[in-house]
Amino acid sequence: MSGADETIPENAGPNDVPRDDPMIAAEWALGLLEGEELLAARGKYATDPDFAWRKEWWDNWFAPWTDDMAGAAEPGAHVWDGIAARVGGQQGAGSGPVANPSALGSEVIELKARLHRWRWIAGLSSAAAAVALALLAFAPGNAPGEAPPQIAAAEPMIATVPIGDTGLRLDVTYIPESERMLVAAIGLTADGVHDHELWLVSDDGSAARSLGVVAPGEVRSMTLPQDIAAQMHDGARVLLTREPIGGKPEGIDAGPVVAEGAFTRV
Amino acid sequence: MAARPRPASAEARDALRDAMARLAAGDQAALEEIYRMTRVKLFGITLRILGDRKEAEDALQDVYINLWQRADRYDPARASPISWLATFARNRAIDRLRTGKVRGGSVGIEEAAPLPDESPLADALLVDAEQAAQIHKCIAGLDERTQTHIRAAFFDGQTYAQLAEQADVPLGTMKSWIRRGLQRLRACLEASEKA
Repeated sequence: MSGADETIPENAGPNDVPRDDPMIAAEWALGLLEGEELLAARGKYATDPDFAWRKEWWDNWFAPWTDDMAGAAEPGAHVWDGIAARVGGQQGAGSGPVANPSALGSEVIELKARLHRWRWIAGLSSAAAAVALALLAFAPGNAPGEAPPQIAAAEPMIATVPIGDTGLRLDVTYIPESERMLVAAIGLTADGVHDHELWLVSDDGSAARSLGVVAPGEVRSMTLPQDIAAQMHDGARVLLTREPIGGKPEGIDAGPVVAEGAFTRV
Repeated sequence: MAARPRPASAEARDALRDAMARLAAGDQAALEEIYRMTRVKLFGITLRILGDRKEAEDALQDVYINLWQRADRYDPARASPISWLATFARNRAIDRLRTGKVRGGSVGIEEAAPLPDESPLADALLVDAEQAAQIHKCIAGLDERTQTHIRAAFFDGQTYAQLAEQADVPLGTMKSWIRRGLQRLRACLEASEKA
């Protein structure tokens, strides 16, 4: 979708409907999004509670229509065999339902799933009880199957870094036990002149440690070096500075601080 | 929608809810129960969207493997299990349609293998009837043209471009029609929630 063909019709005309987030969520639920728009929507879903809520709101309302897609056919027996082989294979390897040999990819997915759950805790107290139950299901010791230990044991921390009054924000999530950090910069766009670099403020007054240059519009997963991981704790502050492309050059002071936030244990 | 015997339906829902809870706790046997209860309904969905038996079976397999890997995503406070699973299956099928080379469309009758006698619960597992009545009522409030296009998007996985081509209107016009329809649909559904 180049967008060129739609610029005029979409922006012109008094009758046109504003294409705000709830509308994009509706289009997505209906299955109309493609290409980059679809990717952007998925990213937004992982990091923007309002958007995720609205997408599920539409999904829920459209769900009854699936009754009219009535099942009139039976899938072949090989379908279940394939599922059983995959599922059994994972069990045989000694890992739980979430753990997966291709650790990085699945971990990012798992983190997204957790982010998804946290929004209930953070935003909608009425659903908090249900979420607590869901989390308990993964606590060690009370699951009949093998709960994924590295996730169950780790209490993640999250820092929300609002960018000025733009409504955009950076979500930084850190899973202590894995020393893995997820930086979601959905909604940010590159201006072609600057990069933004993320910093962890040291407790002891020493220089802030770089957490790397932010990739606009992306969700990135990274492993922190041990000395930095040691400084991550509840309340630890992060700063976002504006830098030349590629990040702060060696031997030059960091650029202006454009946003900041602090980690909270979830 | 015809009334269905309440007990069978309630029983099926409870069984599914229970199996989903056990799955989230890591019980592998629960996956097989869920598969047994829902495969026909979910296969109906992937087959309708993808229009190809092989693709639909692949998508179905994908759905259950994914479900196993990330059973914790289901939030019982938000949706009934069958509603969530059906949405999940449809979304996976649409993903496949958008990223693959599959041609979507309706499925010929010859594609449909006969149902075994035990296919059972599939029929009892309808999404909440009250909710169904409301969306049908709200969609019926839209003009016929908009209804048709919105339904085609949902049932056949058509894109804006395909819808515009079939209706022989500019892409922007089709987008405006559908967005206006979605806006009105949202207002109607929200009003029903407040009532």
